[in-house]
Amino acid sequence: MPMLTVENLMASYGVVRALHGISLEVNEGELVALLGVNGAGKSTTLKSITGVLRPVKGTITFLGKEITNRTPEFIVKQGISLVPEGRDIFGQLTVEENLRLGAFVSYERDRYKADLKEIFELFPILEERFTQAGGLLSGGEQQMLAIARAMMAHPKLLMLDEPSLGLSPTMTDQIFVLIKRLREMGSTILLVEQNAERALEIVERAYLLGNGEVEFAGTAEDLKHKVDIASVYFGGDDAQKAGVTL
Amino acid sequence: MSLLSRFMTFSRQHATLPLLMVPVIIAGIAINAFGSSLLLNVYTYFCVSLIMVLGLQMFMGNSGILNWTHIGFVGVGAYAAGILSTAPAVKHMGVPNMFPALVSLHMPVIPAILVGGLVAALLAAIIGYPLMRLSDFVGVITLFATLIVFHVIMTQWDNVTNGPRTFFGVQEFTTLWVALAGGLIAMVVAYWFRESGLGLRLRASRDDRYAAMSVGIDVVRVRYYSFVTSALMAGLAGGVWAHFITSFSPKAFYISEMFLLLSMIVIGGSGSISGAVAGTTVVTIARELLRQVEGTINNAHVLSFEVFGLTEAVMAVLMILVLIWRPGGVVGGQELRWPLFKRKEPGATKEAEDAA
Amino acid sequence: MIDLEFLINTLSLGSLYALLALGLVLVYGILKLVNFAYGEYIMIGGYGLYFSATVLHLPWWATMLFAVLAAVVTSYLTELAAFRPVRNKSANALIVTSFAVSIFLQNAVLILVSPRARAVQLPAVFSRTVSIAGATTPVRNLIIIGTTVVVLVALSVLMKRTVLGMAMRAAAEKFTTTRLMGVPANLVISAAFIISGLLAGIASIFWIGRSASVDPVTGSAPLLIAFIATVMGGMHSPTGAVVGGFVYGLLFNILSITLPAGMISYRDAFMFVIVVLFLLFRPEGIIKGGYTEERVG
Repeated sequence: MPMLTVENLMASYGVVRALHGISLEVNEGELVALLGVNGAGKSTTLKSITGVLRPVKGTITFLGKEITNRTPEFIVKQGISLVPEGRDIFGQLTVEENLRLGAFVSYERDRYKADLKEIFELFPILEERFTQAGGLLSGGEQQMLAIARAMMAHPKLLMLDEPSLGLSPTMTDQIFVLIKRLREMGSTILLVEQNAERALEIVERAYLLGNGEVEFAGTAEDLKHKVDIASVYFGGDDAQKAGVTL
Repeated sequence: MSLLSRFMTFSRQHATLPLLMVPVIIAGIAINAFGSSLLLNVYTYFCVSLIMVLGLQMFMGNSGILNWTHIGFVGVGAYAAGILSTAPAVKHMGVPNMFPALVSLHMPVIPAILVGGLVAALLAAIIGYPLMRLSDFVGVITLFATLIVFHVIMTQWDNVTNGPRTFFGVQEFTTLWVALAGGLIAMVVAYWFRESGLGLRLRASRDDRYAAMSVGIDVVRVRYYSFVTSALMAGLAGGVWAHFITSFSPKAFYISEMFLLLSMIVIGGSGSISGAVAGTTVVTIARELLRQVEGTINNAHVLSFEVFGLTEAVMAVLMILVLIWRPGGVVGGQELRWPLFKRKEPGATKEAEDAA
Repeated sequence: MIDLEFLINTLSLGSLYALLALGLVLVYGILKLVNFAYGEYIMIGGYGLYFSATVLHLPWWATMLFAVLAAVVTSYLTELAAFRPVRNKSANALIVTSFAVSIFLQNAVLILVSPRARAVQLPAVFSRTVSIAGATTPVRNLIIIGTTVVVLVALSVLMKRTVLGMAMRAAAEKFTTTRLMGVPANLVISAAFIISGLLAGIASIFWIGRSASVDPVTGSAPLLIAFIATVMGGMHSPTGAVVGGFVYGLLFNILSITLPAGMISYRDAFMFVIVVLFLLFRPEGIIKGGYTEERVG
C-alpha cells in the first residue's frame, strides 16, 4: 500500500478552479517529484495535503488514514512535514527557536539534543548562526534552516515546495545534493520543482502537472525521454505546453 | 434593439430600487391610514434611520472601513440644523451660554437641514484628510477615537450644544411623509453612488487595495471623497432626525447609537443597498418587539428589579450569530434583482465573504 | 516641574497604561483583532473585586485573585463563544463581533447587577502615602510600578524561554507556518486571550482602585487608553505597546499640568489630536517592525 494516496483532488480559489481532479501516490522510501510550470497546481496540491487549503473534492490518505479536511496541526502530527515555498522561516525568532518549534510535535529532550547534533553535521552553518535571528540569514541558509526545521519533526514524509527557488546555482547544487542524501538516509520525499531537469536527475518517479491536471506520470527516465522529444521535435513552445522548463 | 427591449433591459438592470422602494412606500401609506400613533412613530423613525444607515453604507459598505465617526456627523448635522432653525428667543432660554452670534441666527427648516449637512461634510473634509491616509487597523482605532473627540466636544462646549444637558425647543417638522421622502432620496443617492465610477473604484479598493492601486486608482483620494459624501448624508440625516425628536443631548450621538446603526448594517449586509434596507427593517422591528417585552416584564413586576439593557444584549447576540452564520449579512453582498429568486451568479460567494 | 513626585506619578500612570496596552496588543498580534471587548474584561475584573468582597467576604488578597480570575475566564469564554467561530471571516467581522461582545457584556451586567455604580474598597495600605527623598506619593503608585516590573519580566520570560512563548511569537509573525510546525491554532489563540485577560485583571485592580467604584461602562476609559497607547507605540510588537503606554502616561501628565484650567476638560480631545497628527508622520507608531499584517484564515 502506498504511503500517501491522493485521489481525484479538486481545489479552487473562490470561483477559480485550481485543481481538476489530481491523483498521485508516494510509496515508502521513494523520492517523487511533482513538476510543472507556474500555476500548474503544484503548490495547491501540497497545500491541500498539508491541510492549509480545503479541497472541494477528493480524498487524501496517509498511512491508511484519511486526512482530507483535517487541520494542518493534525496532519503534521501524522508525520507529514512541509518545507514551504519561499522558505517561510520565522525571521524574528532565532535559528535555535526555529528548530525548537520544528520539533514541537516530537519533542523529547535527549532525542532533541541528538537531532541537533545531526543537523549541525548536515548544516554546519546553522551551528554558527545558532543564536542569530532567522531573518538575518542569507537565502540559502534560510533554505537549509527550513529543511532542518522540517526534519526536526522526524517526518515520515517530507515535502519540499520549490527548494531551489531564488537561490544561486551553487546553492541550488548544494540543496539537490542534500535532498539526494536525505533520500539515501531513508527519508520519503515529495519534491515540487519548476526546475524539471535538475529534479529528474535525482528522483525515481515524477508527475507532470499542467492546468490543474496530471498530464504525465512515470519514471524519471520516461519523463526525461518525453522532455527530450518535446524540446527536440516540437521546439521550446511545446515543451512549455507540456509543463516543462529546461 | 427596439425601444421596448431597451427599456426592459434597463429596468431589469435597475430593478433593485423599485423592489426596495415600493414595499417601503406601501408600508408608509398603510401605516398612515391604519396605524396607531406608536406605529406611526416607529415607521418615521425607521425612515430616518434609513437615511443614516444608507449614509453609513455609502462609505463603510463600499470601502470596507468601519466608520465609527458616522454617528458623530449625524450629531453635527443635528446640532447645526437645530441651532439654525430654532427661534432666537427659544435658544436664549434653552441654551443660556450660547454665543450671541449663534443665538441670532435663524432660518427656515429645510435650508437649516441642508446647511447642517454641509457643516458635517466640511468637518469631514477637514478631518478626513489625515484619517484616510491611515492604514486599516490604525484607521479603525483612530476613527473610533475621533468619535470620542466629537463626544467630548459636544458635551463640553456649552456655548454651542448646551453641554451634556438637553438641547430642546427644536420645531417639529419631520412628519411621516418628510421622513419617507428623505429615506427614498437616500436610497436613490446611495444606489447611484454605489454604481457610480467613484463607488466602483471604492469597491475595487475594498476588494483588493493593491490591485486597485496597480490599475491607477488613487485609493486615498477615492476614500476621501466618499468619506465626505457619506458625512454629508449623515449630517442631513441628523437634521431630519433633530426635527423629528425635537430635543436631544450628546448621548444620542455616541457608542450605543452607533451600535444600533452598525447592527442594522451588519445584520442586513453592508455590501449592498438591499442589505442596508433589510437590516434597518429587521433591527427596527426586532428592537421594538424587544422593547415591548422589556416594558411588559418591568410593568408586570414579576422580577424584583427593572430590566434595563435586554434589548441591547439580545441585539448583540443576534449580531454575533449573523456574523457566524452569514458574515455577509442576511442579504449578502449582492443587490436584489428581478426575478427575485434566481440561481446565484458566480462570484457571489466571494463578495459575500468580503463584506462585513 | 520635573521633580521626583512627577516622575513617580508618571511612572505609575505609564505602568498602568503599559499593562492595558500590552493585553490588547497580544491578541492583536496573533489574531489581528482590535478587541473592543477588552475594556469589559477590566469591568468584569472590577465586579469580581466587588462581588468577592461584599458577597463572599473574602480577604483582600483573595478578592484580587478572584478579580484576575474573573477577567481571565471572561476573556477565554469570549474567545470560545464568539471569536473562534468568526475567526476566519473578514477582519471587519472580527472587530464588529468584539464590539457586539462588549455591548453584550455591558448590558448583561446592567441586567444582572445594576446600572448604578458599586463601591469597591481596596485595603487601606493602597491609599496611604509615603515620602521618598522628599517626594510624597500614595503607596498605590509604588505597588503599580512594582507589579508592572514583575509582570513584564514574567511575560518576557514566558515569551522568550518557553515553547508556548516561541509558538506565540511565531504565530504573530506567520500564523499558517506556525500551524505547519504542528502548533495547534487554538492553543496559541487561547493562550493569547488568557494572557490578555490576565493583564486586564491585574490592571483592573489598579484602575478600579483609583476610582473606588465600578459600573457597567467602567471599561470604556481603559479601553480607549489601551487603543491610543498601542497605536502610538506601534501595534506590531509588545515592546511598542509598553513604550506607548509610558509615552501616553507622560503626555497625560504633561497636559494635566500645562493646560489652562478652562481647557482641562478637553484634555482627552487634545491627546487624540496629538496622536492622530503623530500617526500622520509615522503611521507605524514609535516602534516599527515585529508583527506582520498577515491575517488568520
